[in-house]
Amino acid sequence: MDVWDVIVVGAGAAGLAAARHARQQGASVLVINKGLVGRTGATITSGGGVSVAGSTLAALGLDGDPSDTEEVFIRDMLKSGYWLCDQRLVESIVTGIGEELRFLMQRGVKPRLSKRAPGHSSGRGVGIPGPDMQKAMTTAALQSGAKFREDFFCTGLLQHDGAVVGVAGLDRRLGEAEAISARAVVIATGGTTSNWRLRTAPEELTGDGHAMALNAGAELIEMEMLQFLPCCLVAPEIWRGIQFPWTIGPQAGVRAWLLNKYGERFLARWDPERMELATRDVVSAASAAEVYEGRGSPNGGVYLSWAHLPRDIIDNFQSWAKGYKDWRYQGFDMNPLVERIRAGYAIEVAPAAHFSLGGIRVDVEGSTGVPGLYACGEATGGVHGGNRLSGNAGAQILVQGRQAGLAAARAAQSNQAGAPAQNWDILKDEIEAPFRREQGTAPLEVKQRLTAIAEEALGPVRTGKAMTAALEEVRTIRHTTLSQLASRNRDPRYNRDWSDALECAAGAPILEAALISAIGRAGSIGAHQRRDLTGIKARLEHSIVRQDDGELSWRAQPVEFPLFAPAA
Amino acid sequence: MRIHIRLGRDTGSEVIAYDLPSPKEAGISAASWEGASVSTALQYLQRAVDPGLGYVLSCRRGLCNICAAKIDGKVQTACTTPLHDGILIEPARDTLILRDTVVELSLVRKARIGANGAENSKSHAIAASRT
Repeated sequence: MDVWDVIVVGAGAAGLAAARHARQQGASVLVINKGLVGRTGATITSGGGVSVAGSTLAALGLDGDPSDTEEVFIRDMLKSGYWLCDQRLVESIVTGIGEELRFLMQRGVKPRLSKRAPGHSSGRGVGIPGPDMQKAMTTAALQSGAKFREDFFCTGLLQHDGAVVGVAGLDRRLGEAEAISARAVVIATGGTTSNWRLRTAPEELTGDGHAMALNAGAELIEMEMLQFLPCCLVAPEIWRGIQFPWTIGPQAGVRAWLLNKYGERFLARWDPERMELATRDVVSAASAAEVYEGRGSPNGGVYLSWAHLPRDIIDNFQSWAKGYKDWRYQGFDMNPLVERIRAGYAIEVAPAAHFSLGGIRVDVEGSTGVPGLYACGEATGGVHGGNRLSGNAGAQILVQGRQAGLAAARAAQSNQAGAPAQNWDILKDEIEAPFRREQGTAPLEVKQRLTAIAEEALGPVRTGKAMTAALEEVRTIRHTTLSQLASRNRDPRYNRDWSDALECAAGAPILEAALISAIGRAGSIGAHQRRDLTGIKARLEHSIVRQDDGELSWRAQPVEFPLFAPAA
Repeated sequence: MRIHIRLGRDTGSEVIAYDLPSPKEAGISAASWEGASVSTALQYLQRAVDPGLGYVLSCRRGLCNICAAKIDGKVQTACTTPLHDGILIEPARDTLILRDTVVELSLVRKARIGANGAENSKSHAIAASRT
């Protein structure tokens, strides 16, 4: 195939939905994945929620409350997003998810309905475990006739007079740079949370798609907005970022207490009514604030304690909460931790980077505004505003995937030319540079430094001082260190140093975008909490970043309210 | 802590022993290596000892299985298996070796495109004959 109609970068549920829908329009489709299709990506790690309005559930023959209309669901999302959401994107997702859920059910996925989750005013949670969702979407994309390229790390977009005409990247198996032509490209590379140290995300979410899109002329939106999942494990190392304590505590409605080093239930200062059952952004901010103020636990967290409850609460948990047989959680045996809880010890927990609320700016069709370039899923921003309710990512990735796949297939039809790329030489040189360079800085050191900077300056609690210092260091890395990164290994195949260097080249501009957005938004709102500006509410503006001649710039743009306006 | 690794390389695949320095010296945020995974040890060795060491890692929680290796004779995910003194780490299956600890675990091999558009890309496994 000389020119594909549609290339999809990323093979989580969003990318595979895009691939299948584009394929069903007759487009030839190549799905490119940095790792292995059906395995890598964030979908497999998701708790598996898909939120659907009760009326939509009822129409599908499921147990939903018909009075929970799409409008009620949209209003919940806008409110929980602190009225920063792009309302048209929200509407598209709420009204479009029924069709995608119907498809999954036809494919044999058995949804498990859950009760009302915090922030949702009705029972809308359709539980589909991440591995089941990933498997169903992989099989469906395969059967649609999409083709795949694995272990191929896309680093740049081929362009002709500004229009996107393909991708450039590194075949990690062979260790060769390659250009692949397409009439339209869909970015579905997921979020940017791998740039944080304590995270729930898999290793590969470094924001490669964001960096490619920025370079091609697309805008990023709300990059300072990052969702932290509270009560994740901080120790031992093998369990870091695992959400188990949260899932057998507040998330399940179990009244475990969050305590600081003095044994105080500090949520009393944040949400005295709901306490530990407050929404995730509040619990995360409160926990991080305790650590920031010096009231944390030895490993940089706070204590989650069940000690005030009779042991029966834990012992009988498995009998009513599904999926905790033998205290296995994901791939781990959590018996040692449960034994500690039974013995009356508290567990050290901290908020972990969980989901990128901001990302590539798109419209309801998934268009970035750059001709030939589309994006979907967690790689995009603007849907959730300042906070995301549980299950809404599942709905987002499926609906946006469809929209972007359909739009890319349409664009491919009208763009028959297959114009030659004008920037392949530059992109090829950027890919090969770290491998050619024989002396320089070891890439993993810089990668780990970037995650430390992100954790320090862009956690759930932020200060102008820390962010300004971080911005200076990130700019130095971007303008100086990146051009010194060198592979110490002369074998091009599966060369870690080489791919680490390319991941740094994506991570550095993405953190710079997040920092200028966070500094620009002078005030606190949703996931962006300024410790030095408490009580100063940020204006209802979008944070927009673009790149011109290699320099990033930030601007604010007032939020529009085409559907509903917040109460004055 | 001493660990043993048998890597699948073109040059051969004998067992190599590594003595790990203390986690603190190694820059690992663990109180002891026993609280860290096989994946963390591989990551450390690539960073500090053998830059050419091939390994893969994604979900870090035993779901995606790409880090599968034969550990003490049993195939399991490296990310969820804690280290212990004397541990033996080998490729999950020798006929699937791509490089070092990396093995072919593609789920879409029949629909895969190779370099420069070649249909049905062949596995680049190097060691089908090796046992």
